[in-house]
Amino acid sequence: MQGSTRRMGIMTDVHRRFLQLLMTHGVLEEWDVQRLQKHCYKVHDRNATVEKLEDFINNINSVLESLYIEIKKGVTEDDGRPIYALVNLATTSISKMASDFAENELDLFRKALELIIDSETGFASSTNILNLVDQLKGKKMRKKEAEHVLQKFVQNKWLIEKEGEFTLHGRAILEMEQYIRETYPDAVKVCTICHSLLIQGQSCETCGIRMHLPCVAKYFQSNSEPRCPHCNDYWPHEIPEVFDPEKEREAGISKSNKRSLRSRQH
Amino acid sequence: MSEQSKDVCDPNFAAEACNSEVHSSPGVPGGPSLPASQAAIFPGPESPPVGPPDAPLASPAPQAPSEEGDPKALQQAAEEGRAHQAPSAAQPGPAPPAPAQLVQKAHELMWYVLVKDQKRMIIWFPDMVKDVIGSYKKWCRSILRRTSLILARVFGLHLRLTSLHTMEFSLVKALEPEELDRVALSNRMPMTGLLLMILSLIYVKGRGARESAVWNVLRILGLRPWKKHSTFGDVRKLITEEFVQQNYLKYQRVPHVEPPEYEFFWGSRASREITKMQIMEFLARVFKKDPQAWPSRYREALEEARALREANPTAHCPRNSVSED
Repeated sequence: MQGSTRRMGIMTDVHRRFLQLLMTHGVLEEWDVQRLQKHCYKVHDRNATVEKLEDFINNINSVLESLYIEIKKGVTEDDGRPIYALVNLATTSISKMASDFAENELDLFRKALELIIDSETGFASSTNILNLVDQLKGKKMRKKEAEHVLQKFVQNKWLIEKEGEFTLHGRAILEMEQYIRETYPDAVKVCTICHSLLIQGQSCETCGIRMHLPCVAKYFQSNSEPRCPHCNDYWPHEIPEVFDPEKEREAGISKSNKRSLRSRQH
Repeated sequence: MSEQSKDVCDPNFAAEACNSEVHSSPGVPGGPSLPASQAAIFPGPESPPVGPPDAPLASPAPQAPSEEGDPKALQQAAEEGRAHQAPSAAQPGPAPPAPAQLVQKAHELMWYVLVKDQKRMIIWFPDMVKDVIGSYKKWCRSILRRTSLILARVFGLHLRLTSLHTMEFSLVKALEPEELDRVALSNRMPMTGLLLMILSLIYVKGRGARESAVWNVLRILGLRPWKKHSTFGDVRKLITEEFVQQNYLKYQRVPHVEPPEYEFFWGSRASREITKMQIMEFLARVFKKDPQAWPSRYREALEEARALREANPTAHCPRNSVSED
């Protein structure tokens, strides 16, 4: 590593393995990222103290800066889980996905994206998306095929499906926020609290401002009379719980016991 | 694991690129100190290629004569891919682009390669030229070299030309060969488990596994060819198409058998990424037996492990991934 130690001074095999694995998994929840970090330390530098995750990631990001990539942290819109992904800052279009999907598949995604952004709830129904199949660029796609492609998007964590409706996965928001804001500047919705892109959330029925569910949870935490921060009218929606990683871990342990049984059979 | 002996395993392409660059190519900018430090860091083509998964496959002796041909062949392939009539690489042409633009292209290529690998898709040289390098194809060697460097230093990955014949690259871990990162980040495990099951079956048999044998084993796990599974989906498609596309398995017709039957073999990627010892450990875990319950296979696994260790004497020291080459 003699050549450019000044730039890459802190890049050790711990960091490299971390990056490799983060890239392999695409997007990870914070709990998995912490485990991943510990694993990398265990493999390459058993005796070192595991650095605080935030600092660890900031250190890596300082190296990645010159490459226009970044480990970005986001929060899932429905339940406020922190997620991490390695994203490319340089491309502002969805050409990121371009290597995975054919032209007509990419166009299907674009159509779904538009419907999601225009919708009131942040969800686009399967029917409405499939009805646009005739307008796709590239090779003609049948509805049956389009259903399969939509499932591919879900598996690759670009979309989430709930009861026949589709919305953006946290990963897609993380990677494409810039693109979305630039491409749909008028249709895009923004959270009043954190000012980030908003796909799913709650809105004030009087003045129309919107907030992410986790932002609502934090803002109105232990507030018995929630009121709209903008017009002060009574906030009519149920206030969700703030995401608690500890509670998650306990729930996760009982889940992973079942999981490890399954993988043993494999 | 005899299937992939046909694969050409070149020394790190960047090494070749470096050598030919130092000799010829006008119009190659590069950073100020880069070519010099390259020559210092990369050994010449005489030394045998060193890389953990590739060591058993490398054949140092015949490499030297073909190396001169490789960069040119790839250059030609790039130009053919663009359907241009331009002759050789050394032709003086338009002024070279600013170093910053080449650096940017190298970054784009780095990301492109990472995403392809993430999706377990083939990294095909003509695609690289078409999708990323584009009009900078004359400088593709320089771009490739820079990309390889970045990938090695930042990610600990080698961008290796794994098959000159098909012009395929792959990203190989330059870090110490580790047990499959069994961090059990759950959504990967089932796939890997399924694949390992099939690979183990093939390995234990010592030859191809007929499709019927594979389904007998999978049936124990509750997997059937006609049933959709909650985790795997269409299992048959997964193992006969997706794993094959990713080069983890080969799915071939058994010759001279009617009605037609098919059998599975290890794919080239499985041979590169998975060691026999890992298979033995997997078998031991699944069947709750000692790996020596499969004595001849265990012996083979030991042999392979020894060969790998000999090819990598520094395996247990913190490695300078760049000097590896």
